[in-house]
Amino acid sequence: MKATVVDGVEVGTTLPVVAVRFTRERLVRYAGASTDFNPIHYSEHFAKQVGLPGVIAHGMLTMGAALRVVTNWVGDPSRVISYAVRFTRPVLVPDDADGVEVEFSGSVSAIDGSLVTVSIEAISDGRKVLGAARAEVDLGVRVPHRDREP
Amino acid sequence: MPITEAHAGRRYPPCDPYQVSAAKITEFVTALGDDNPRYRGESPMAPPTFAAVISAQAWDQLFSDPELELSLGRIVHGDQRFTFMRPLHAGDVVVATVTIDKVRVRSGSELISATVDIASRDGEPVCTAQATLAHSRKAAA
Repeated sequence: MKATVVDGVEVGTTLPVVAVRFTRERLVRYAGASTDFNPIHYSEHFAKQVGLPGVIAHGMLTMGAALRVVTNWVGDPSRVISYAVRFTRPVLVPDDADGVEVEFSGSVSAIDGSLVTVSIEAISDGRKVLGAARAEVDLGVRVPHRDREP
Repeated sequence: MPITEAHAGRRYPPCDPYQVSAAKITEFVTALGDDNPRYRGESPMAPPTFAAVISAQAWDQLFSDPELELSLGRIVHGDQRFTFMRPLHAGDVVVATVTIDKVRVRSGSELISATVDIASRDGEPVCTAQATLAHSRKAAA
């Protein structure tokens, strides 16, 4: 296995940054879409009652938005074969029109044949909110799982 | 008696079959703000983390198990790992099964590691979703 270059991709290659604005509206949309109706994601009163500083974003919203760094880059999201994160700091989402911006960046951290590991960083309010965020993508020639011709 | 280490290994019955729909994919990618064309059109693919929708259904079995005394509002997601065997598309029908892997009881909280196995109705593995959930027994000081 050559651990150097796959189609011009090298360890250290950086991926274009994706910035996503998290507002209360987005949290409500994600709650409905994901069916995660934990009130810490929409009720200030409830969030404070369980010891949080305020309404926080769904970890899975942050995780899902962060993967856009990788899927924008590879184009075909079916190339993602694994994806893992730790939720190290909650993303506080204020109840105003601006919300909070979360900036996602990524760089290639390992190459093993056609398998490329991308390490992702997520920054909100100047601080990292995800730890050990890594997605593994297969950039090799792939046989489709099934015929999906229109 | 709330959740304890002794619940490790508990496997719940499979959830009702879940049919992935184009409408749900659209809702999900709109929430993420993701305009990848693969998620649109006649036979859209579900984004990889759409597996969370199906996992949530399986986790509900934990939250509704009276023996565990868990409350959704006191859950915070600690970590999440997905392993994808194949992508999901609109029209696919899958079945999720959740297993409690490990429980660590701390003072006033529990850390629950659980795996959701998502498979086709024929049992073909589609995705494995492993999570650690932190459950607080009472409000933090």
